[in-house]
Amino acid sequence: MNITLRINGKEQSIECQPGEMLTEVLRRAGHLEVKKGCDTGNCGACTVLLDDKPVLSCSYLAVRAEGREITTIQGLADEAKQFAAFLTAEGADQCGFCAPGFALTVLSMKKEFFHTPSEAEIRHYLAGNLCRCSGYEGQIRAIKKYLEADHA
Amino acid sequence: MEILKYARPQSMDEAFRLISEQRGTAIGGAAWLRTNTKTIALGVDLADLGLEYVREAGDHIEIGAMTTYRELETSQLLRARFGALFEATVSHVVGIQLRNIITVGGTVAGRYGFSDLNTTLCALGAQAVFYPDQTVDLAEFIEKGAGAPFLLEKVLLPVSAKGAYRQMRISENDFPIINTTAAWTGSGWRIAVGSRPAATRLCQKAMAILGEDPLPSDETIASAGRAAADELQFGSDIRASAEYRREILPVLVRRALMEVRG
Repeated sequence: MNITLRINGKEQSIECQPGEMLTEVLRRAGHLEVKKGCDTGNCGACTVLLDDKPVLSCSYLAVRAEGREITTIQGLADEAKQFAAFLTAEGADQCGFCAPGFALTVLSMKKEFFHTPSEAEIRHYLAGNLCRCSGYEGQIRAIKKYLEADHA
Repeated sequence: MEILKYARPQSMDEAFRLISEQRGTAIGGAAWLRTNTKTIALGVDLADLGLEYVREAGDHIEIGAMTTYRELETSQLLRARFGALFEATVSHVVGIQLRNIITVGGTVAGRYGFSDLNTTLCALGAQAVFYPDQTVDLAEFIEKGAGAPFLLEKVLLPVSAKGAYRQMRISENDFPIINTTAAWTGSGWRIAVGSRPAATRLCQKAMAILGEDPLPSDETIASAGRAAADELQFGSDIRASAEYRREILPVLVRRALMEVRG
């Protein structure tokens, strides 16, 4: 079947199977910034924003995304670049595979919270983003500093 | 899971017809499709039916079948009525990205053994409303199923109930080893236990011990906890043995009851 998805503000017409998940369809449409990690709904690498809410694209039916606004990390390149500077400063960039998913969840948290979240709130919000390199400490430091700077 | 044909009905009537007459399978959050190996001849997507809501309706709160876990977790109405109960119940489920996908209806209809939510819904005395006009006790549905094709429209919660949830997990976002919710309904106690690892069941004997006393003694509460472990069947799986689950449960039941009693 043919579906039309709105990705980063642009409409794209794409062939897909009825049961196909969004990760596969986005990557086939050229959006390789959407990472394929565990592919079982656990690691968060495939996170995209759907109408500004973070979802796992590996666990979301592609056909259901028709009519909704899909944002990948490319769609928030400027914000992601700002956040990446904090990650790098804390030595938390490492291999980078999980970074697009992490960044999108952090950017979503930034929109959702009207205060600077506590470390516990950050850890809770990011529980669905796994990283196999960093041990999380550097990332947590980077996220706290990024969000504190934003709310300053 | 493979879906051979996909339909996106625009009305409840159309959805019900596809499910009841054309053997369609309702698609809720669809988060488990990825890891399921079944083939669905006709997937009926409920996304356009306006079933995402948490609202008051007389002496009940209605939760639409397509309401996500994240909406339960952040609902001001549920927080006002039940304190942090729903947040405590669903906030361990993987991450926010998955909780933005999985739905109340998918969880109830699936009658999943590992469910946290079904335990709390059963303890609160929730009812399941099937389109067009059938309302059943949710705990009974979890135990026995529907027996015929159905379309779950919403879940009803009595606003007079208050409850507390307890669980044990090996790691923060894993499936629970065992979970329980205790609730005071205004006229009696209800205790539900899930992830045994089989599906949620009410603990009738433990509930009978507590009776209609809103302020049971510590001894009575301890007795109810032990009775819950004695009356239920437990199984062993990769996460815990049946014996371990049986040992842990009385402690969780006691803690939940004490939180509700105060």
